[in-house]
Amino acid sequence: MIVGFAGKLSKNYEKDGIELLKEAIDEALEMAGLNYADIDGIMANIGRGSFHGNKTYLNPPAQISEYFGIKPKIIDHVQYGGPSVLSMIYRAYKAIKTGDAETILCIQGGKISHLKDNHFQKTDIIDSPFDDYIKIYDQMSPISDYAMVAYRHSKLFGTTDEQRAEIAVMQRYNASFNPKALFRNPITVEDVLQSRIVSYPLHLLEIVYPIDGFHVFVVSKRSSKSALRNIDILAYGEAHWPNPPAEWDDIIYTPAIESAKRASFDLNRVDTFQLYDSFTITVMLQMEDIGLVEKGKVGQFVESHDLTFKGDVPINTGGGSLNTGQPAYMSGGVILEEALLQLNDMADGHQVKGTDVVFLNGIGWWSRKHSVTLVLGERK
Amino acid sequence: MRDDEIRESYFKYFNEEKLPFIQCKNCGHRFYYPRAFCPKCGSSDVEVRFSEGRGKIFAMTKIYRKDGSYVIYGIVELEEGFRMYSNIVEGNQADIAKRVEVIFKEINGKKYPLFKVI
Repeated sequence: MIVGFAGKLSKNYEKDGIELLKEAIDEALEMAGLNYADIDGIMANIGRGSFHGNKTYLNPPAQISEYFGIKPKIIDHVQYGGPSVLSMIYRAYKAIKTGDAETILCIQGGKISHLKDNHFQKTDIIDSPFDDYIKIYDQMSPISDYAMVAYRHSKLFGTTDEQRAEIAVMQRYNASFNPKALFRNPITVEDVLQSRIVSYPLHLLEIVYPIDGFHVFVVSKRSSKSALRNIDILAYGEAHWPNPPAEWDDIIYTPAIESAKRASFDLNRVDTFQLYDSFTITVMLQMEDIGLVEKGKVGQFVESHDLTFKGDVPINTGGGSLNTGQPAYMSGGVILEEALLQLNDMADGHQVKGTDVVFLNGIGWWSRKHSVTLVLGERK
Repeated sequence: MRDDEIRESYFKYFNEEKLPFIQCKNCGHRFYYPRAFCPKCGSSDVEVRFSEGRGKIFAMTKIYRKDGSYVIYGIVELEEGFRMYSNIVEGNQADIAKRVEVIFKEINGKKYPLFKVI
């Protein structure tokens, strides 16, 4: 039912965010063979300050509809960071199956390049009720938060800088075959380790680079001119751990351990994995929490497997958002676009042959509070 | 206690160089981040208590500035059983499991609890 999709990414988009969004919607609709008049549902998650200079829509799918003249039967603002778009796909499939709508746009992204050095500017929008007691400290969320996890992981399990660097190296290798990647020149473990330490133990080349960009996915039951395979949701799970991670049993676990359990999918059936890659450690935590390898053993797993698109366990086959750049601080659109490219034999230069099943996992918020597991494939 | 009272009381206690936490009188759960009711059992019967201010580093990172200096940010686990984010100062010896105690320093004109290695 995903009949069209598009990702429009730009390091520094010169016009307004609404114009970049238009480019993405146009391209997705064209692939779908549908028109604006066909849209009767809209779901969205948009980065802060994306429109009209530096404005934030209170309810993005409603205000986007207002600007574009869309008259939806259903509107859903799904906002728990990067994995939200994966949940939108699930909700859109359900809405279409129940007859609530026929053609639904799922949108994620934003224009943030104007905020880059200032994205913690003072505003009344808070992302935790306890910001006054947490963000007052000298910190660098979310980098410092993930760095703490990486350090604790290495203290408890002996995970090394080199093992984390391997993730960056193999994703860059994949990116070197992806024409849409921003960073394409191959790198070595040594390059990663020699890049600046931003928040120990994370190096610059282990950290995603924020860019402008929108992803649009068209979910529709209409038999259109779309040439895409009839992709179904084979499994789904989400989990939310809303408390500050300081209150969790341990920070080395993520809610992916629960979302994956809820999805309960046999990993032996998976052809490629697309795992949220805000940082190298994010990928490794998910590899453990989705059950690819047991907790604490991911370092050895990385050393003993080929994780490139040519390898035995292909992960982030297009190079991930570490190499495309991260649109509006959210990587979910990047991994979902890559999943669809692989499933439709459209992954130009980095196609994993015969891909029938893709396992996606997204992690959201600076503090890893939200996880969505989505398995896509053709139901036979 | 009301939400505004409990949130404000933390800043008052910081100023008096006391480290507050909250204990639920119904289920006994202890937590640091100020809520007017217990996140475990929902009871509004909660009271502010004070920590001895000693604990261990549970997690930490050194955040590097462009000039090569760094600041330590981490999670401290207090002996009373709750955990909180904070900065760790005088941190040459800082590491996971190292013992720390609270000190109070001014940030933007208000006192806040920080920790130093002991």
